[in-house]
Amino acid sequence: MSGLGELDRPGTPAGAEAWDAQSGEWLGGQAEPESATETENARVDHDTDSPTARPAPVQPPHTTDRKPAPARRGAADPVKALMHRHRELCERAVDPLEIAAGLEAHGVTDRTATRFRHRDVFSLAEEMYARVPRADTAARHSHTDLATMPAPRAVWAVRALLPGVLCAAVVTGVRLTDGRVRSAVAVAGVLAVAFGVRMALGRGSLSTPPGTPAWRTPPGTRLWTYWLLAYALLGDGLLRAADDGGPDSLPTGIADGPWPTATAPVLALTLACVPAAWCAHHFAVRARRKLATSRGLEDFADSVQPLLLGTFALFVCALAALLALCGAVLGEPAAYTQGITLGALLLLARLLFVHGFTRAPALALGAAAATEVTALALDLIGRLPDCGFLATPVETLLGSWGPGSIPALACGAAALTLLFHTTRTLTRASAHAPADEPR
Amino acid sequence: MVVRIGLVTEGGYPYVSGDARLWCDRLVRGLGQHEFDVYALSRSERQEDEGWLELPPQVRRVRTAPLWSTEDDGPALGRRARRRFREHYEELAAVLCAGDAPVQGPSVSAESPSSVSDPAGLEPDGSARPSESPEPASAGSSALSREASAVVADRFANALYGLAELARDEGGLVSALRSESAVRALERACRAPGALRTAREARVPDLLTVAAHVERALRPLSLDWYEDDALGSVDLCHSTAGGTAALPGLLARHFAGVPLLVTEYGVQLRTHYLASADAPPAVRALLAAFHGRLAAEVYRRAALITPGNTHTRRWQERCGADRTKLRTVHPGMEASRFAEVGEAPDRADADTLVWVGRIEPAKDLISLLHAFAEIRKEEPKARLRIVGAAAGAEGAAYLGHCRALAAQLFPDEAEGVHAVGDNPVSFEEIGGPEAPTLAEAYASGTVIVLSSVVEGFPIGLVEAMFCGRATVSTDVGAVVEVIGGTGLVVPPRNPRALAEACVTLLRDPERRERLGAAARARALELFTVEQNIAAFHGIYLEVVSHSPVHRVILDDTGEPLPFAAPAESHVPGRWTGRPTPAPATGPTAAPGARVVARGGPRWAAGAPVRATTPLPTTEAAR
Repeated sequence: MSGLGELDRPGTPAGAEAWDAQSGEWLGGQAEPESATETENARVDHDTDSPTARPAPVQPPHTTDRKPAPARRGAADPVKALMHRHRELCERAVDPLEIAAGLEAHGVTDRTATRFRHRDVFSLAEEMYARVPRADTAARHSHTDLATMPAPRAVWAVRALLPGVLCAAVVTGVRLTDGRVRSAVAVAGVLAVAFGVRMALGRGSLSTPPGTPAWRTPPGTRLWTYWLLAYALLGDGLLRAADDGGPDSLPTGIADGPWPTATAPVLALTLACVPAAWCAHHFAVRARRKLATSRGLEDFADSVQPLLLGTFALFVCALAALLALCGAVLGEPAAYTQGITLGALLLLARLLFVHGFTRAPALALGAAAATEVTALALDLIGRLPDCGFLATPVETLLGSWGPGSIPALACGAAALTLLFHTTRTLTRASAHAPADEPR
Repeated sequence: MVVRIGLVTEGGYPYVSGDARLWCDRLVRGLGQHEFDVYALSRSERQEDEGWLELPPQVRRVRTAPLWSTEDDGPALGRRARRRFREHYEELAAVLCAGDAPVQGPSVSAESPSSVSDPAGLEPDGSARPSESPEPASAGSSALSREASAVVADRFANALYGLAELARDEGGLVSALRSESAVRALERACRAPGALRTAREARVPDLLTVAAHVERALRPLSLDWYEDDALGSVDLCHSTAGGTAALPGLLARHFAGVPLLVTEYGVQLRTHYLASADAPPAVRALLAAFHGRLAAEVYRRAALITPGNTHTRRWQERCGADRTKLRTVHPGMEASRFAEVGEAPDRADADTLVWVGRIEPAKDLISLLHAFAEIRKEEPKARLRIVGAAAGAEGAAYLGHCRALAAQLFPDEAEGVHAVGDNPVSFEEIGGPEAPTLAEAYASGTVIVLSSVVEGFPIGLVEAMFCGRATVSTDVGAVVEVIGGTGLVVPPRNPRALAEACVTLLRDPERRERLGAAARARALELFTVEQNIAAFHGIYLEVVSHSPVHRVILDDTGEPLPFAAPAESHVPGRWTGRPTPAPATGPTAAPGARVVARGGPRWAAGAPVRATTPLPTTEAAR
């Protein structure tokens, strides 16, 4: 807008010839461009004409004492000069109205447009739109904005590590203490780990996008998750104790009590928050990058599917390693099947949840939890007189594959269903749409 | 006659921080004889938290809905609803990508609304409209393009109303509009042969952006405002802006036959173009098509359109508004605070020029200072007072620049060798000792100067006119329309012309006085609050009398009650005291009677059928 002033200098046009072949056709019929010296009331809007006022002609600025300077105008084609001035606007525009809006924002009015031999800004913009060469305008726009995402910072890593560290501390505490102190440590430890998990899921790549309203969380999701974790901790021991006619006392938090507690898989799962956070972040970033580079929706789905499966496999490997490590350190059986199936289920549910799909994870978690509840209930009811037949399927399972098979089956089936669902939903582009507008 | 007005605002009236709230507030307070139902779409959470203005008693109810978030995703659609959605959305996407001129040119704007084929009898009051004679087609090609654009407009309307009906049947469309099938429909439309060149380049993120934007723009579809107890029961729907704010009015018209009045003080389409300048071209092309077609549909269906100034009016005509429906209603301003200054004789120091406004680069104070340097050559005693505060950081930097320039151009000067000098250019703020009020700032000048290069509606100029001051302004924005020959106008960025005009006025007190008086008379006639309210009062009555809502009053068994609405209810003036809350046109309706709005003949009550065949792809190129 720096050079607009020269447009407004009154003066005769530099030449009467057409400035190009296109304009030659209509140049003959056009009047000379108006200079800025006409009276103002001629252009007053029809509705607002004032009957009271005497027209006040504008003084001719300096047409009398000074020769106009056609040299400053340069080319004989004023529109070309204007196009050069608003080059970016013209090349960018997708239709003439966009040029018109841009010109008006730079102070071009209908009055200015008459100097370019146009009736109004719209027809001036149309000429500019028609004349601008646009060959590679699209190539210039790169989609870098979508691919940028904040890198995981140290704070997130600390948050993701928090549940694992807390859980390790609690397990150590339980092992080192005895009696009342031990129960107190166990109760406080459970609360602390729950707090740690909430902290880990509250921010970062495992959290829902900011601004997600609370109604998006279906009721029960949290409850089912807690139940599944509690079962992983205590369920096997309870079944085993029930088989022996127990349990005779409350769980103490150690593996060799009357109600044995499987701390290794739970410790591994809490530690697995770190690989889970990394995997979720990795998946989101890579998916967005693919979003920016893919040509179409099918293309995107095809490229995201291997990414999703690869990320999932990575997490499973990491979880297996953690399970092995925890089993070795704690001296407990590692319980690979239960741990891996439960971990896979929780990761997939969280991934879906983070991307805005809430019903399917709630259903899958609920189904797995309900299966476990049913198995446990059937086993316990089977101990009542005349109800032994109810426990037969559970007894058969326990007899052939051991107590770990029940959560493994429940969580495995749910995780497989969810994996299938995930490969269909998370490969959609709409699942990776940028977060909602600011509130 | 009491008119029940549904006032639809977007990010506006009842909210303390709303746009145009002052205007709406004055309008509602000024028209106490009518009843207002306010339907407000809020723009942000902050806006909602800040609360409402105090509402006068004629506002009988306020319903709000957030545009910035969704209450819920709406119900999951069943199989048939999904198919219906897909059909309509594909049609919408196809229209957006069709590549026909997105808006009708000015030559098409005189087209009469009744000549456009009207699906499903959407024009219940077609006979009541003043019939316009369509301009004879000048050439075959223009008639062809007119027909093509009418076809496109119809397809857009069918898709829009189809989605609206689906949303009404299903109770919301939010999740569907965001779903993958919407994105897929957009992709198919973009890749279809004959699609816009820019749309064909759309990549996946562009499609997502467009889908999200369309979902946001179509959120009013999911509202439950169109039933008989809400917008369906008003006599007239007044949208205070175009675009999304006009959408509820459009749907109320579609579902209940309520006439729509659209007021625009700024064109939504133009705002959209300026706001989306950073988006990729495909996004801009598709969204421009969407907003352009929505605007065209709003203008086509509106009973009357009231632009706030000629600039808006030109854009509306350009977007297909029928010239016979346009009534320019200038914004009203409070004139009383300038009355004292305007009526008193001129007490200002001779040779003082005053500039009042917010200081920002668009005001081009540099030009003004250069012009003042020229003025000083002719009138060495002239002084310039620049009154106003800087707007934002950019404005502050600009103010500093201007001060430095003023100090360079004009050395301090004093009366004699023993007096303390000072600069002939002073920078002041309203509330300071020199200019305690705005009116006094204007009063202190013999000539008021406006030097902007970009200007919308020049409020400062109107204030100067109220004060009865002679003005010199640059020809930008609506300046010429406002001043209308009662002041001098010069080209922008021309300091010499500005200087000469100022010198002319400074030397001619008689002409100054004459111009000032004329300016004050003009402002009092055109830009007062009273004229604004009176204009809208007349427009309300005009719309209601030309497009009365046909309501059938039913008794308890669902049978129509003949003569339930007596003839008196259509006569001006109150016949039965204040009407009972429920039926607006039937004050004496039997208790328990239901009022249903009928948007057309019974046979047309179903979903709109596609009135036209889809555009052949070969004709779709621009």
